[in-house]
Amino acid sequence: MGLAMTDDATTGWFDARIVTGAHPSSLVPSTDRDAIAAHLDTYAMSGALVSAMASWLHDPLGGNAEATAVANSLSDRGVLACWTAVPTTPGELDSLDKLVAQALAEGVAAFRIHPHSHGYAPDALLDLYAALEGGGLPLCVDAAEIGWTDLDTIATRFPMLPIVLSNLGYRQLRRLWSALRDHDNLSVDLVDFAAHQAVEWLAAEGLSDRLLFATGLGVRDPGESIVRLAWSGLDDETVTRIGAGNAQRLFAAGGLS
Amino acid sequence: MIGRQPQHRVVDVHAHLGPYSLFYIPDPDAATMVSVMDRTGTEVTVVAANRAIQQDAHLGNSHSLAAVDAHPGRIAAYAVINPWQDPERELERLAADERFVGIKVHPSLHKYPVTGARYAAVWAFAEETGCPVLSHSEHRSAYDAPSLFEAVAAKYPRAPIILGHAGITPAGVDEAIEAAARYESLWLEVCGSQMTGPLIQEMIDRVGSRRVLFGSDFPFIDQRMSLGRVVCAPLTDGQRQDVLSGNARRLFRWRPLPGGTGEDVDE
Repeated sequence: MGLAMTDDATTGWFDARIVTGAHPSSLVPSTDRDAIAAHLDTYAMSGALVSAMASWLHDPLGGNAEATAVANSLSDRGVLACWTAVPTTPGELDSLDKLVAQALAEGVAAFRIHPHSHGYAPDALLDLYAALEGGGLPLCVDAAEIGWTDLDTIATRFPMLPIVLSNLGYRQLRRLWSALRDHDNLSVDLVDFAAHQAVEWLAAEGLSDRLLFATGLGVRDPGESIVRLAWSGLDDETVTRIGAGNAQRLFAAGGLS
Repeated sequence: MIGRQPQHRVVDVHAHLGPYSLFYIPDPDAATMVSVMDRTGTEVTVVAANRAIQQDAHLGNSHSLAAVDAHPGRIAAYAVINPWQDPERELERLAADERFVGIKVHPSLHKYPVTGARYAAVWAFAEETGCPVLSHSEHRSAYDAPSLFEAVAAKYPRAPIILGHAGITPAGVDEAIEAAARYESLWLEVCGSQMTGPLIQEMIDRVGSRRVLFGSDFPFIDQRMSLGRVVCAPLTDGQRQDVLSGNARRLFRWRPLPGGTGEDVDE
């Protein structure tokens, strides 16, 4: 008997990573407010998690306002903001606890960190991890921004902190496998999740609840993960879980339902 | 809504087969590849076994032929020519075995430039027969930067050469487009981790939709990554179908690819 496969299973997905703002060194589709709305329309998505390109490549904390502005203007479309944090540094940030409290008050659904790009060690953010764990907000990080040892340390020390690894590429399944095996709080999104049959492989190993649909619109071509999941070898139930269900669980504290 | 069923006919001109030492690939076998093709609307895929490109061309080429035999009509084979591993012997094998439909070279992996004498027999064979040659191409590579193929195209103008990855990086794509704009024997293939739909659109804007080819690199990388960039790119239906299958059907004429409806093959 074949897999249950209906087109309805490709509607209502939640895009767990969009980056709003211009990309300085890549030719990718636009990501302003209207382009994000069109993206949601075109692929019948239920919402998205949006962070700011400026937070990654220009002003880590100042860029958060740009993510919130887009989220607020598309709140009726299920768009949520993802803020960026950096270590406390006089003149830049006084308190990570206060930053997370402000984020919760403003309806932010997750935080993203860029230790490599922003020039600090991941252990400089212990207060952030504790605050996020307490508030139920996920921590998002690109594979290129953090080493596997640091990731293991954080996931071990904060076992209730949901961590979403992004931009894995196609060469890291050996390391990913051990990390997923060792840490129930670790998930991986589909942004450049490019290894052959890796989605099907993890699902067959019982880990479909650790996979999160995301396109990376702004830093990747969104068609990659859209077609990857839609034309996967998974049944409709699993596609829907990866497309939306897992995000509803992970981002519930930020208001996703 | 994308739906779960593909709406296009696909020919994948850049694929591999089997494991690769640097990283784990789940189920890199031919049967799994065909199962993926069934989900993506891929009629036929042209493979160069990883064993052939990474370590042993002769043995790996046998693996490719075994895949052809196991999946007739769905998989076709490139003969990998390694300039350090008796290229004349593999060219003779290619000429004698009709299961091979083209040549694959990987100058970056084999650390030898496309302009070197050890590749001359490959270009001469392609010039004489019209056999397509898929080459890795990589921006700033001393072995296969897109601009290096201009010298090959000038010397062997009837040798059809596919620039695999079209230079890989955004700047490499620009360089590949420049080369293809100067030489009609150069074709652009679209797989690569830095490729985007807008870059593919630029290829088509500059050289036309009839010399841009779909490839995926699978199972090195999942086929649906590259396919998604083309399926979702801002192309006309005609441009998209040219890229996804029509151009491959037109290019592979020395030994035509199996299958196909004939709709794509015109002058």
